[in-house]
Amino acid sequence: MLEAVALNAVLFLPLAGALGLLLVPGDQPARVRRLTLVVMAIGLALTAWLYIRYDSNAAGLQFQSRVPWVAAWGVNYLIGLDGYNILLVMLTAFLGPLVTASAFTAITKDVKLFYAMVLLIQFAMLGTFLAQDLFLFYVFWETMLIPMFLMIGIWGGERRIYATIKFFLYTAFGSILMLAAIIVLVVSLPGADGRLSFAFADLVQARLPLPLQGWLLAAFALSFAIKVPMVPLHTWLPDAHVQAPTAGSVILAGVLLKMGTYGFMKLGFPLFPDATQLFTPVLMLLAVVSIVYGACLALVQDDIKKIIAYSSISHLGYVMMGLLSLELTGIQGAVIQMVSHGLVAAGLFLMVGMIYERCHTRELSAYGGLARLLPVYSVFFMVLTLASVGLPTTSGFTGEFLVLLGAFTVAWPQHLAGHPLPLALAVGAVSGIVLGALYMLRFASGFLFGAAKAPQAEAHPLADLDGREKTILALIVVAVFALGLFPGEPLRKTAIAAQQFRQLVTTSRLPALAP
Amino acid sequence: MNAATAGLAFTAMLPEHLLLLGMVLLVGLEIAGRGRRLSGTVALACVGAAAATAASLALQGYSATPFAGHFSVAPAALLGQAVVLALALPVLLMARGEFTGGEFPALLLASLYGAGLMQSADSFLTLFLGLEILSLPVYVLVLLAYRRPQCAEAALKYLVLGGAATAMFLMGASLLYGSAGSLGLTPGQALGIPSLGTALGSGDSMARAAAVLILVALFMKAAIVPFHSWAPDAYEAASVPVTAYMAVVVKAAVLLAAVRLFGATELVTPTFDLVAVLPLLSIVWGNLAAMRQTSLRRMVAYSSIAHAGYLFYALLGAPAGRLQATVFYLLAYGLFNLLLFAALPAAGDDRERDRLPQLQGLFQRSPFAALMIGMAMLSLAGIPPFPGFVGKFLIFKNVIAAGHTGYAVLGLLGSYLGIYFYLRVTQLMFMSPDSPGQVAGTVTVSARVASLVCMAGALLLLIFPGWMLGHLLP
Repeated sequence: MLEAVALNAVLFLPLAGALGLLLVPGDQPARVRRLTLVVMAIGLALTAWLYIRYDSNAAGLQFQSRVPWVAAWGVNYLIGLDGYNILLVMLTAFLGPLVTASAFTAITKDVKLFYAMVLLIQFAMLGTFLAQDLFLFYVFWETMLIPMFLMIGIWGGERRIYATIKFFLYTAFGSILMLAAIIVLVVSLPGADGRLSFAFADLVQARLPLPLQGWLLAAFALSFAIKVPMVPLHTWLPDAHVQAPTAGSVILAGVLLKMGTYGFMKLGFPLFPDATQLFTPVLMLLAVVSIVYGACLALVQDDIKKIIAYSSISHLGYVMMGLLSLELTGIQGAVIQMVSHGLVAAGLFLMVGMIYERCHTRELSAYGGLARLLPVYSVFFMVLTLASVGLPTTSGFTGEFLVLLGAFTVAWPQHLAGHPLPLALAVGAVSGIVLGALYMLRFASGFLFGAAKAPQAEAHPLADLDGREKTILALIVVAVFALGLFPGEPLRKTAIAAQQFRQLVTTSRLPALAP
Repeated sequence: MNAATAGLAFTAMLPEHLLLLGMVLLVGLEIAGRGRRLSGTVALACVGAAAATAASLALQGYSATPFAGHFSVAPAALLGQAVVLALALPVLLMARGEFTGGEFPALLLASLYGAGLMQSADSFLTLFLGLEILSLPVYVLVLLAYRRPQCAEAALKYLVLGGAATAMFLMGASLLYGSAGSLGLTPGQALGIPSLGTALGSGDSMARAAAVLILVALFMKAAIVPFHSWAPDAYEAASVPVTAYMAVVVKAAVLLAAVRLFGATELVTPTFDLVAVLPLLSIVWGNLAAMRQTSLRRMVAYSSIAHAGYLFYALLGAPAGRLQATVFYLLAYGLFNLLLFAALPAAGDDRERDRLPQLQGLFQRSPFAALMIGMAMLSLAGIPPFPGFVGKFLIFKNVIAAGHTGYAVLGLLGSYLGIYFYLRVTQLMFMSPDSPGQVAGTVTVSARVASLVCMAGALLLLIFPGWMLGHLLP
């Protein structure tokens, strides 16, 4: 009971904080920053407590609350923690205070509005993960767009308006078709008493004919694939990332991109198992294309934000691959990879933001030999680079290794049975790791080593990281190693959900034939 | 008429009587020379009382038939009336800074009288009366902003096209009378008497012609493509409160009347196709044309053409859910449209106020107005969590539940087209630098109250959509 209250508090604290900011006078940015940080920190503490209280051995929802919302349509306010969302909720709560603290010096314009947006987006992201009712999920899913739209558009770079409108229109297009699919899905499944239900638990019992499943999955998948993003629907991402302020990039890479893969895992695949089986080769191919193509693009960029943006496309390809392997190790690897990418990409974007604040350029060729100029910065940067490459003992290794293990476990017997495609795809995915090492090390070597140069260094001698920046990065690095060295506990927390996911997707649910 | 039926008629028409009382008072005040100071308050009080009466009668489940065959009230109709009246309240608040005399409130009350009459009409005769009483004052209202040269032209255009619509409606009603022998809106279908929903499918050519004429008249009044051309001109020429009145209250009254006209009949081809295709065109064309506008009121006009399209979509669903969907959508659409107009910053003159670039950097000058308009834009675009989304969801859910998935998907894609220009307004307000030449006019207290009233109503819809919807099912 107490836990359920705490969970609601975790969800609504950011909203309350955003409303509370209205009361703070606009000319006191320090108080605005402090209030936001306090709200985020309380949220993190509560989430951590819930994370500890979460029972890894129990199936189903924990700490749930249910309040009828639109009774006439069977829409409930239904939230809870389960193996699918617990790690992602934890990740979101963890990044919240870091994002807040990271923008202390970077954002000086409209500070109040900025932090209100940070809090609102936190609210919407937590809501999307926690919602267990499709209507509620959709509302949160779309609500997320509004603060992000404003954040990129108001505090972004010089082409921010183009980028933010592109971002909004891209994602809204997927959502509008998903909305149609949601309505069709719900309307085609009236309960025994003719009432509609939007609860996930009821919807995953749905038995639908294959063509309908196919169309609905296509609509859901379009929306989720735009969000992931999967090649060829990725073109909004580099623009949004490059133009967004640092905090926006961190939220985007850290949490928002996980929405797509989470959607596939929680909804897309389990709702339409037969269509998923049918689409698996295509989706798998797109996942591998994303891995390789994203890595290749990252290899040739000169804008440091773009390198990380394209690397995100590549890393999320692994998540898709792990989910589609339908092998327990692969699925769990996908979940770990989501969290790991959330931490590492967020950390890298934070570091790019820190150097940008000092030198005001994102051109890779303008930098060199930072190891000598900024030693502390360089150490952190190197650690995160290696985590991104997937060095053992870091979280990146755990995720990618488990995903590939899962993929090969499935592919090998199929190869022996005469189907070479899965194995070819798995091998293709491995090449992504090599390319990943290549582009990250190219980035790091150009950035940290060689002749020391940094723009405007003559005018202003570069200052190394201050205490606030060190704390932010240290927390991320600790989390990266914790997930790499002790993946046991997170894996236990997600084990039951992974089994459920696998069982839901591999069991055919076509309608029973008429007797 | 004996005492009992007189009492019945009095209670059933109490909201109308309150409006009538208001009109009499306003005329009296004008004669006494006190109109300048008191007329606004009197009008507000009367409309408020009428709305409250209609709502409370509806919630009590009151129904009566004071004039059998012509006029009967039922909870659903009363609720519709309450919504129309309530949406007029912010218009009156907004107008306080704009019009000082008694003519605006008096005309508005007269128009609202007609809107109320339409909601309870049982025969084409009453409906026609209501439609005319609704429309005639609006022609004059458009003309009230006579400081601007183009408003006479627009008012004339509106008058001619509105008159044409009225003529078509009357012609249709008389043809239907000729073929059915009754003026009733929903004559017994068992007897094979054609009503509007079935007439197009019948073999009787007179009934078919009647149905087409009446439908076209409705489309004209609601500004559905291709009968929409009056709307942008009239909206642009009228002053802000009048534009708000036309975009919200007039549209609401016409749409609710349409729901009443179709009654409990399922739409069948070819009526169905007519009611599906033209509104779909409106959605697409309205949203496309709105993208190119530089005048705010023209943009709202095109946006309201698209919204009329969604509202007609509500008729495609099962009859039982039409009223619920329409009323909810009208509330969401109306409140946010009114919010937009109420929060619109004042400027040097009316023409200046209308220019979209006037909104540039508004957040720097007036954060309150920018936030209000921003929310209005996102809700009108149908972005969750704003009520505009719930309204659209409800309409499209009903259309899909009735089995017309194709039209629903096309309608949703059409609504996607609209997102761009709503975003553009938001972008202008929040993301563009404040241009130095802007005149920051003073925001009147009553306009601010109007936006707060709209916002409060919208928040109620946002947090408790279920409560509202629960009262709207038959």
